[in-house]
This record gives sequence, C-alpha cells and structure tokens, in this order.
Amino acid sequence: MKLLRHTLCGALVLLAACVFYTAAQAKPKTLSLSERVQNLVEMNQKKPLLRFNGPKFREYVKNTPRNYSMIVMLTALAPSRQCQICRHAHDEFTIVANSYRFSPVYSNKMFFAMVDFDEGSEVFQLLRLNTAPVFMHFPAKGKPKAADTMDIHRVGFAADSIAKFVAERTDITIRIFRPPNYSGTVAMITLVALAGSFLYIRRNNLEFLYNKNLWGAIAVFFCFAMISGQMWNHIRGPPLVHKTQNGGVAYIHGSSQGQLVVETYIVMFLNAMIVLGMILLIESGTSKGHNKNRIMAMVGLVLLTVFFSFLLSVFRSKAQGYPYSFLFK
Amino acid sequence: MNRTPKILNSKVAGYSSLITFAVLLIAWLAGFSSRLFAVIRFESIIHEFDPWFNYRATAYMVQHGWYKFLNWFDERAWYPLGRIVGGTVYPGLMITSGGIHYLLHMLNIPVHIRDICVFLAPVFSGLTSISTYLLTKELWSPGAGLFAASFIAIVPGYISRSVAGSYDNEGIAIFALQFTYFLWVRSVKTGSVFWSAAAALSYFYMVSAWGGYVFIINLIPLHVFVLLLMGRYSPRLLTSYSTFYILGLLFSMQIPFVGFQPIRTSEHMAAMGVFVLLMAVATLRHLQSVLSRNEFRKLFIVGGLLAGVLVFVAVVVLTMMGVVAPWSGRFYSLWDTGYAKIHIPIIASVSEHQPTTWFSFFFDLHILVCAFPVGVWYCIKQINDERVFVVLYAISAVYFAGVMVRLMLTLTPVVCMLAGVAFSGLLDVFLQEDASKRMGSIGHSPAETDEHEESLEKKTLYDKAGKLKHRTKHDPAHDNGISSNLKSIVILAVLMILMMFAVHCTWVTSNAYSSPSIVLAFHNSQDGSRNILDDFREAYYWLSQNTADDARIMSWWDYGYQIAGMANRTTLVDNNTWNNSHIALVGKAMSSTEEKSYEIMTSLDVDYVLVIFGGVIGYSGDDINKFLWMVRIAEGEHPKDIKESDYFTDRGEFRVDAEGAPALLNCLMYKLSYYRFGDLKLDYRGPSGYDRTRNAVIGNKDFDLTYLEEAYTTEHWLVRIYRVKKPFEFNRPSLKAKERHFPPTNFISRKNLKRRKGYIRNRPTVVKGKRTLK
Repeated sequence: MKLLRHTLCGALVLLAACVFYTAAQAKPKTLSLSERVQNLVEMNQKKPLLRFNGPKFREYVKNTPRNYSMIVMLTALAPSRQCQICRHAHDEFTIVANSYRFSPVYSNKMFFAMVDFDEGSEVFQLLRLNTAPVFMHFPAKGKPKAADTMDIHRVGFAADSIAKFVAERTDITIRIFRPPNYSGTVAMITLVALAGSFLYIRRNNLEFLYNKNLWGAIAVFFCFAMISGQMWNHIRGPPLVHKTQNGGVAYIHGSSQGQLVVETYIVMFLNAMIVLGMILLIESGTSKGHNKNRIMAMVGLVLLTVFFSFLLSVFRSKAQGYPYSFLFK
Repeated sequence: MNRTPKILNSKVAGYSSLITFAVLLIAWLAGFSSRLFAVIRFESIIHEFDPWFNYRATAYMVQHGWYKFLNWFDERAWYPLGRIVGGTVYPGLMITSGGIHYLLHMLNIPVHIRDICVFLAPVFSGLTSISTYLLTKELWSPGAGLFAASFIAIVPGYISRSVAGSYDNEGIAIFALQFTYFLWVRSVKTGSVFWSAAAALSYFYMVSAWGGYVFIINLIPLHVFVLLLMGRYSPRLLTSYSTFYILGLLFSMQIPFVGFQPIRTSEHMAAMGVFVLLMAVATLRHLQSVLSRNEFRKLFIVGGLLAGVLVFVAVVVLTMMGVVAPWSGRFYSLWDTGYAKIHIPIIASVSEHQPTTWFSFFFDLHILVCAFPVGVWYCIKQINDERVFVVLYAISAVYFAGVMVRLMLTLTPVVCMLAGVAFSGLLDVFLQEDASKRMGSIGHSPAETDEHEESLEKKTLYDKAGKLKHRTKHDPAHDNGISSNLKSIVILAVLMILMMFAVHCTWVTSNAYSSPSIVLAFHNSQDGSRNILDDFREAYYWLSQNTADDARIMSWWDYGYQIAGMANRTTLVDNNTWNNSHIALVGKAMSSTEEKSYEIMTSLDVDYVLVIFGGVIGYSGDDINKFLWMVRIAEGEHPKDIKESDYFTDRGEFRVDAEGAPALLNCLMYKLSYYRFGDLKLDYRGPSGYDRTRNAVIGNKDFDLTYLEEAYTTEHWLVRIYRVKKPFEFNRPSLKAKERHFPPTNFISRKNLKRRKGYIRNRPTVVKGKRTLK
C-alpha cells in the first residue's frame, strides 16, 4: 500500500518534472522559484543531504529570489586531499541532516547541502575560501553575513553545535537523533565474556584471585593514576607537550592551573619511585640476609630522597614563589 | 586508652598513655593555632560566601529559638519566591554552635555567637584528629594513629575548609565522618549492638551536618558487600550492619531537608540492596546448617534466581513509576564526567567542581600523597575485615577527589591515615635498637592480632622522635644487617621530609587558605606595607544604612548571602542555587541592553543593582570575568534572547576594548561596571579608562545611563551600587527645584464657600434614556 503510494507519488513528481522540464526548455537557464523548491524537495526525498557541484550550487543557492535557507558544508572528502577532520565533519553534518529530514519540523524552508572541492572548486573561488570544512548558512533573504559562517574553531563541529548554529540562524530547532552507538556495549560484553571464560577455564586454579600482590598492585596503580591527574586529562584533554617560544619542547606546563599529558606521566613515575623507595625501606626490616637488607635500605633511601626532591622541584617550578626545596633546586 | 589485657609493665603503660595524651593535645593546639592566620592578620570575621548564610541562620536561631528556626520562612531571599530555610538546610552546624552558645551562657560566659562561629571549625579540627587517631588505631596501630592525628591536624587539604572564620558544614562534618567510621570499624570488629548503634547516632549527626553523608551511606554498604564477596561473612557483620542500617535510616529521615530521600532516591538504594543481600546470605547460612546438601543446592539455585529477578524488576518498575528518583545531577556528574559540562552550566560554573590536577594533590597533601599508596599496599598485604574498609575508602575517595577539587576534603583523612601507617612502619624498622624487644613491627605483625604493649611503647616513643630528643645509642650487634650509621641517615632523611611537610603546611595555610575574601589585602611593592581593601563591607554597610528596609537588591548569585548577612536586605538570588530559572533571569538582565533589562528589573521589583568591579585595583574575581557564566546560564533558559556567540568577537575572543563585540559593550553589566570609568586616569602616563584586570582600554567610554543612576561606589571602585529609577523619573525632563516656578496668570479662582464642588453620599444614579416613573 505504502509502496504503491510512493511509486504513485514518484510517478506524479516525475510527470511534473517532465512538464517543468519541457517548460524550462522553452525558457532556458533559470528555473522559477517554485520549480527550484520542487526540485529540492524531490532530491531531498532520496537523500537528506544534497550534493551539489558548481552549476547546481549557483542554481539553487546563489540564485535569487529564494524563500528557503540553505545550510551548506564546503569540504574536501577525496582521500588525496588528506583532510582528516572533513570526514568527521561530514559524519556529523549527515547526522544533523538526517535528524532534520525525519523530524516533525521538516519543511521546504530549509535544506542541507554539501559541496566537495573536487566537484565544485569554482564555488570555493566564488566564496573566496581556502580552507575546509566550512559550514555556511545562506539565508532566504539577503546575502550571508559574517555570522552566517559557523566558527568551528570555537564551537567545534559536533552535531549538537551545528544544530545550535542552525537554530541561531534560522530559528529551526533540530533535535539531534544519533543512530545509537553500540560499540561501547559490545566492547563491555566482550570484556565481561572474556573475563568470564578466563575464570571458567581456570576454574580449578583460582588461586590468583587470592593473590594479594596482584590486588595491591592494582589498587596502588589506581591511586597513582588519580593522584597524577589522569582524570583531569580525561576531562580536559590537554596536549601531549607544548612548544616553547624558542623552538624547544616543554614537558611541564608553566602554571599551576594546567598540566600536560607527558607531565602527568612524569609525576606518576616519580610518585611510583617514592613509593617503591618507602616499601624497600620498610621491607629491609624483615630479616632475610644481612647484605640484602643493607642494599634494600640504601636503594630505598636513595629512591625516596632523590625522587622526592625531584618531585618537589617540579612542583616548585609550577608554583610561583614557593620557597622550599630539598637536595636540589 | 589501654585495653590490652597483657600489661607487662605498668610504668610503660603509664608513659605510653601520657605520650598519647600529650601528642593529641599538641596536635589539637597546633591544628587550632595554624588555623588562626586570618584572625590574627585581619580580625575575627566570617569568611567568604556560604558561611555568611550559616552565620545568619545561626544568629536567627540563637535569637528566636529552635522551633522558630525550623519554621523560618526567609522572605529576604529569592525575592519574590522566598525560601523555607528550616526545610532546606542541614541544621547540624547551627545546632552545634547554638548549643555551645547556650552552654557557655549557662555558665555565665558571655561570648558573642559570632566568635563561636568563627572558632568552631578550628576547635573541631582537634576533635577530627582525635577521631582519626582512634580510627587508625583500630585499623593498624596506636603509633600509626598518632602519626595520622598529627598529619590531619595541619594538612592543608583539611585546613582549606576549616580555617577560623570559615564557618561551613565541612568544618564539623569531617569530624562526624571520621568518628562514624571509627564506630563502624569498632562495631564490625566486636559485633556489638552498642557500637553499631553509636555509629548510627554519629551518622545521624553527620546527616544533620553535611550533604556528604551520602559518602558514608554508600561506603559502608560497599564495605559489607566486598566482605561478602571475599567470603568474610560473619554474624558480627550481620549484627552491626543491620543495626546500623535500620537505625541510621530512621535517624536520617528525621532531618527535614533529607526527609524521605533515603528510601526514594537512587543514591541510597545501594544501602538497601546490600541490606537485603546480607539478609539473604544470613538466611542461606542458616538453611545450610538445617537442610541436607542436595536440598540446599536446589533451594539456592531456584531461590537465588527468583530473588534476583524480583529485586531487579522491583527496582526498574519503581524507577519507571517515579517512586525512586534517578541520580541527581551533582552525583551523576561524578560518574559521567562530561555530563555537567554539557547539561548543567550552574554546576560547571563553580570552580570547586572542576577536576583536580596533580599540582593540587601535591599542594594540599605534600609528602602524604606520595606515601599513602604505601599504606594501601601494606593494608592489602595484611588484609583483615577493617583494612578492607580503609582500602575501599582510599580507592573511592581518591577517585572522587580526582573528579572534583572539592572532594579533596574527603580524601584528606584517609590519606593521613594511610600515610601514618607508612611512616610508622618505616620508623618501626629504623628506630629499632634492641632486637629482643622487637615483636610487632610492620613486616611481621599477623593480620588479626592486637598490638603488643612493647611495640606500643616503642612506637609512641619514636613517633615523637622529631620533637623529642631521640636516643643516639645503638646496639652494634643487631640482626637485620643495617648498620647504625645507615639507620641514622634514614631517620634523618625521613625526619627532614616530615619537617618539610610541616613547613609546607604552614606556608600553604598562610598564603593560600587564610584570606577571608571579603577583606582583601595587598602588599605595596614600593615600601612593602600592607594595605587593606575593605570595599565589600563599606558597600554593604552603605546599603544597610541608606536604603529602605525592604529594598530589593539585584546582584549575581555569588553575593546573595553576603548582602543578606551584612546589609540585611532582600536579594533576588543567592548561593543556594536551587532555582535555575530565577538565576537565569538575573543573568539575562545583566546581559541584555539597558532598556530590555529595565523591563526585567521592573518585573522583579528591583530597587538597587550591585556589581563587583575590579578594573581599578586589578581584582580578578569580578563580575566581568564571571560574565560569560551569566550569559551561558541565561542562554540555557532563554535561548531566543541571549546567545553566547554574540558576546565574542568574530575571532572568538572575549574582550572589553574597542574591538569587543557590540552586544558586550552595550549590555547592562558592562555599563554598570564601566560607568564613568572612561574619565578615570589611573596613571599619569597611561590612557584614561584603562582596566587593570583585563589590561585593556575599555571600548565604550562615553555613555549615560537612562534607567539607572549611580548610587554609591566604594573607595577602590570594587563595589558599585546603582539605583533603578522609577518609571516617572526618566520619562519626563528633570527640572531642578529652583527652576520649578510657574508664571503668574490672571486666573482667579471662582471657588468660594457656596460654589465649592462636593459630592452627595448615596446619590441615586441616573440611568439615561429612561423616564423615571413617578
């Protein structure tokens, strides 16, 4: 039933298109406004995201008068262009276009389109663009203003921010519907299954679960991860290292407010060494062999003092005006 | 103190308790005095923001009595909504200081309630260190306990929330937390109803004092659960947990603010689930002893499956029906770390809800943060029931502290305890001088044994080695092969590090955590003298003296409590950020143009607007720097009218100079901050209108205010107060009084006694168009 209606519809549209085409033949080049809208709607039936080349762009986006807005992504998807983020941007943009196409707010007032550099390089010249991707809004009336280009450096190009941009410019609020991502769930299930099967295979030898060293190591490692600020890295996503002004590489962030990824690893290592030193010192009290004990105590002492003073000097370099240091500055 | 049955030498026991007493006393004194920097430098004054509300509520309670306080409806906050204070605070803090006030006045000691409030947190820090001692003693040894007590007395991570004047819930809550944990561990150890009931009582105090009680009610069930997993079920556990849970549940529901939450929200569901599980395990244990093996197995499988499905379905259905509330945003953001940033700007805007860098860990805990994994390691190596608890405490607290700076506070006690374990273990080894006496050192101590009296004596003696003169005489013939030279070097190094810890703590406390933040101090670089900026109190005092008693003052929510506390005027929003839309409305008023915000201000009956402006003295915490949060919060509620991108330049910068975004340069906050600032020349050489905080010449210099007028600006321009004009004041041209004379006219009034107009009472109304019938 539905199929039938669709085919019927399609046929009708086709017929209409034929009529229009012949009409257009008679009056070449420019399509009238209603024709263009019709064509766009028709194209949108097939694909939520319209793909334009140069002439089509001129026809549907540049041409006046319009009574519809266009959100256009200008991008370079060909692998030879080596644009990594274009691919991500394209995915996000497709999500927005899909969400719009199948949402109740869908109308012929706004369309989503994209232009690939390799198909419509003249568009890039026309708009004087030399970067990709660029998201632009072409309003129904007048020319695009500066604010009609989305500032992806500031807001990024996640689907939510694109939707927000669209809502700002056109007052059409799109609720983003992402195809649910099962990869996390799948990974979780695989992990649990793996662990379960591992335990099942070794069911006769579960001694390792009672291994205190293993549990101790896990707990201590978790503590290291937290006190070296891995959670901060996870939430804020700082860069690995910084470049300094004179071309060198800074591993330590200069201020107390931030940190670099490498820096946290260094701190983690220093903490681990201090802990190792203390454990060695304490263990040296258990009588095993005299020599062994002595060596353990000495190594432990060196580890504790040297790495602690090292940690302190790293700390000192970050805190302005901190007066204390140990062993070395 | 000494309950160990085996007292070999009463003299030794006497010394050890004397030393314990002395150390705890000294720790209390040291903790108390290191929290007094702010009082000595400035004066005995309540600090910051939230304490002002607590102080106001306490003063109200002392003045009007407990029942009035419980029913207090504060119409001076959240105008026009008001706030039911009795039902929306944790009253433990007010009751504590009110109780102390009452007690002292009974003894005829006339102390002002403000002084009690100021010194409450330092006094309680001593109690915290005692309860930390008790807890660590239960977990490890008295020596470790003394270490832990001394650590927590001075560690900056705890001082940051408990300096004199910082009159906040956390000040007493950490004591309640540690004491509850001590009683809980004691009750698990003994299995006595007495101790678990005491734990429940202490938990009640904690619930009344701080929202962080949720940590307890999740950690203790976690402990029980892990013990069950490890196969460490015992009747002691059953007794202590069931007593604690039932009593604790009933007690916690007595607090009006908590109410029915313990049976209705997801945060408390874990405790209930563990309770059910424990009961199931106990039942099974019992059945196991009664039934045969085969029967039991059948029952176990069928019953277990059935129970699991039943519980799961019940929880899901209850959640779906809305009987059990899902996790609240603040707690949810602890698990999904990206949640708050996207969905709740008002949580993300508070600086103490940010994640923690390694720098702040080291800053707040110094050597302890490096030493506490050692304690974790040894607790796991020599595990027993109560050490499971401390390990879980450490792991969960370190995770929470990593997510939120503010929760460093809950990490600090456990770090002190475990570092105490580590250091006492270390000194146990190296302060050994007589092999024959060595019995309970860390490498050997069997898991479940109590401490021996000798080792107690040794540890307590040597833990004080830094302060006492320790013995230098060493026996050359010792058993573990470490020469006495090496030993003394190690001891020296450890003492050195501990001394650096003490010095670090003092430095941090003095420099970072002792500013009252309502009185600012800065050092003059030329002559090194110290200047005091008292602009906040100047402005609040002006408000209290020069405005009508019911004047309504609009400011950003940070200053709500201070205005209410110091100026005693009605505020629109304050630090109890319970109503997001109201805050967003204020944010919208601040970020709209003067004309639009006038509409909002008249709709909210605003009389005065107060802004904080730091451009003259270079104070960075002012309203312009907070402005983007106002815009964000306003945008969350009014996306049509306020758009964050409008306040940035095309290149995405937030700047106040001539290149700044026009929306910013014309919004109310900008105008109120920079009104007449363009005429001000701070330097002889510099340009006029130079903002020292943002290092820029402001972009919009010449403007006038139409709808507001400047009412007061403090000495350093830090606080600026504007009066909102009434509608008739700006619609007509203003005329000065002496210009208001009217030209004489020839008109002579014809009114005299006869012709005076009047009216007749009850005059019959004439209905036109109808003839009256006679």
